Amino acid sequence: MLSLNARVLIAASAVLSSFFGLAGFTLDRTYHKSADGALVERLQDHVYALIAAASMDESGRLSIPAALPDQRFSDAQSGLFAQVTRNDGGWIWHSQSTEGLDIPFSQGLSRQDSVMRDITLADGRQLRLYSYGVVWSDTEAQDPSLAYTFSVAKDMADLNAELATFRRSLWGSLGGVALMLLAVQGTILRWGLAPLRRAENELAAIESGQQPRLKGKYPPELRGLTGNLNALLSHQQEHLERYRRTLGDLAHSLKTPLAVLQSAAESAQDSRELQVVVKEQVARMNQLTGYQLQRAATSGWTVLAAPVDVRAISQKVLAGLRKVYAEKAVAAELVEGEVAVFHGDEGDLMEVVGNLVDNAFKWCDHRVRIRIESRTIPKSEAVDLFILVEDDGPGVAPDMVRYVMQRGRRADSHTPGHGIGLSIVRDIVQLYGGSLEIGNSELGGAAVHVWLPARPKDLPMLQGA
Amino acid sequence: MRVLVIEDELRLREQLAARLQLEGYVVDAAKDGEEGLYFGREYPVDVGVIDLGLPKLSGIDVIRQLRSAGKSFPILILTARNRWQDKVEGLDAGGDDYLVKPFQMEELLARLKALLRRSAGWSQPGLSFGPVYVDTGSQQVKLNNQSIELTAYEYRVLEYLVLRAGQVISKTELTEHIYDQDFDRDSNVIEVFVGRLRRKLDPDNRLNVIETLRGRGYRFALEPTSAAGPR
Repeated sequence: MLSLNARVLIAASAVLSSFFGLAGFTLDRTYHKSADGALVERLQDHVYALIAAASMDESGRLSIPAALPDQRFSDAQSGLFAQVTRNDGGWIWHSQSTEGLDIPFSQGLSRQDSVMRDITLADGRQLRLYSYGVVWSDTEAQDPSLAYTFSVAKDMADLNAELATFRRSLWGSLGGVALMLLAVQGTILRWGLAPLRRAENELAAIESGQQPRLKGKYPPELRGLTGNLNALLSHQQEHLERYRRTLGDLAHSLKTPLAVLQSAAESAQDSRELQVVVKEQVARMNQLTGYQLQRAATSGWTVLAAPVDVRAISQKVLAGLRKVYAEKAVAAELVEGEVAVFHGDEGDLMEVVGNLVDNAFKWCDHRVRIRIESRTIPKSEAVDLFILVEDDGPGVAPDMVRYVMQRGRRADSHTPGHGIGLSIVRDIVQLYGGSLEIGNSELGGAAVHVWLPARPKDLPMLQGA
Repeated sequence: MRVLVIEDELRLREQLAARLQLEGYVVDAAKDGEEGLYFGREYPVDVGVIDLGLPKLSGIDVIRQLRSAGKSFPILILTARNRWQDKVEGLDAGGDDYLVKPFQMEELLARLKALLRRSAGWSQPGLSFGPVYVDTGSQQVKLNNQSIELTAYEYRVLEYLVLRAGQVISKTELTEHIYDQDFDRDSNVIEVFVGRLRRKLDPDNRLNVIETLRGRGYRFALEPTSAAGPR
């Protein structure tokens, strides 16, 4: 993939070259046209000067003075030539400069007719010819003995040399300006993209373990990106930390049941006793792995994640549980307050809702009520999520509530079956900095309140989000 | 009853099949998703036990394809994953209940019975038909509150007919759901079982418990008296 630098420079070069090319072409054309026009005008002036210098003598013959106003007609090297012919062919005059040359001037032009053409001589010289018809009489009669054709020719070498000089200087200066503009652009680009290069270097430093996060100050356009990158990095670090901790805990807590199994295998008296021990310890290990792996899988605040539709998640869970508890014919209702969204991980939310609603279905008599609501917190514009799950069952025993709510308590060993769901919910809610409360519902059973705050302060919001 | 078991772990599959056969089920056991899907499409399955993590075709896909092929038998999902996301996905795809591994065999059997009962339209394990009472949970049968001794095959025939009380069940259907494929379908062993059931449930021949509809099959003819009758 092309670098930003190359892209901008290629685009700028293309624009500049087409712009300057077009400008140069137009200027060249215009200059050529005006130089050409000036040459024509000069040729016409020469013809008029010749006509003015010519005179008719008494015998009715035209005479051209030997000393013409323009000296160049006398100079063989001047490149300016003239010829006058009578239209009946009976008389002809050449300027001295035409000595030895055979220039095919036009002849026999009628009054006021003119011819302009370019010719190349045998020696390679290019000439422009101009001829003009004149009648030396006041009458309209076309007497060929009174009609003359005045012709002038000029070498084009001067004009061509002039054009070539102009072109050289035109294209030279245009090219110079274009190069200068490109150089300026390149410098601006380097300066403009410097923060990106700095970010690249910092990322390389992070990769090689020299620094944990992006430290430099970045322009506002990049702050969203660098901020989120930092958040992502710390999120990943936390995740890794948690995995490590969980795996450590898991390995540690699995050792005990494994030891029990080993000693039972070595010392159990009969297979029945062994069977009992194996069953017991397998159940314990199952609960341990389930709980600990669940903790590790909990994602926590996500960066750059789209908000999760709480209603859709709740409905999915409800639809699933209605199938599972079909025999109980539970009347479950989903009450929705203001638009409920959650800016965390979808799996975590499903875990919270799934465990709470599953407990409610399990313990209810026949009624379950779920309320989900987003509430805007005054002054902060943050939108918190509230979930309330109620049932009409026997409620949660105070002992169990105390057990589940003990801070830092891991519900991984010897927790009665249904407590584990609440413990998982408690862990997830704690991870998000929210709270879990267990109380009594007006339906007669348990009411579990969950509050999930909008987003912790140290996690940046997306720029413009 | 015919169970489709799709489980890739050989030992678990064999244990499941052995235990289910012991409980009187006809078992079709598949080792991967493709085979399982084929069995589910081709055999007259009453209930499925499907593992989610399968080779070739995932359990979720098997369930989806079975459902879209119009197969409506209840499905119990087996999963090693404990996350609600996985459970909900399985139920959403068409599963009816789930069981997380490792599980106790008794739990699985109880869930299967409940699913079979539910799919037949009964909500309680105990089914009452006047003097006749069938408990599909404990597999006990009572006549006028007196327990009756039935052989395993007699019970299977009775349970199949009772769960579909009022419906005509052909002899072929009964055979397919009670015996393995290689059973000789021309034998009159079903007639023998029905005859024995009639004698045990209706010794005085007054109730007409199981009707024979000539050329069509059998029908359990008693009206359900428990509130939880077929919907």
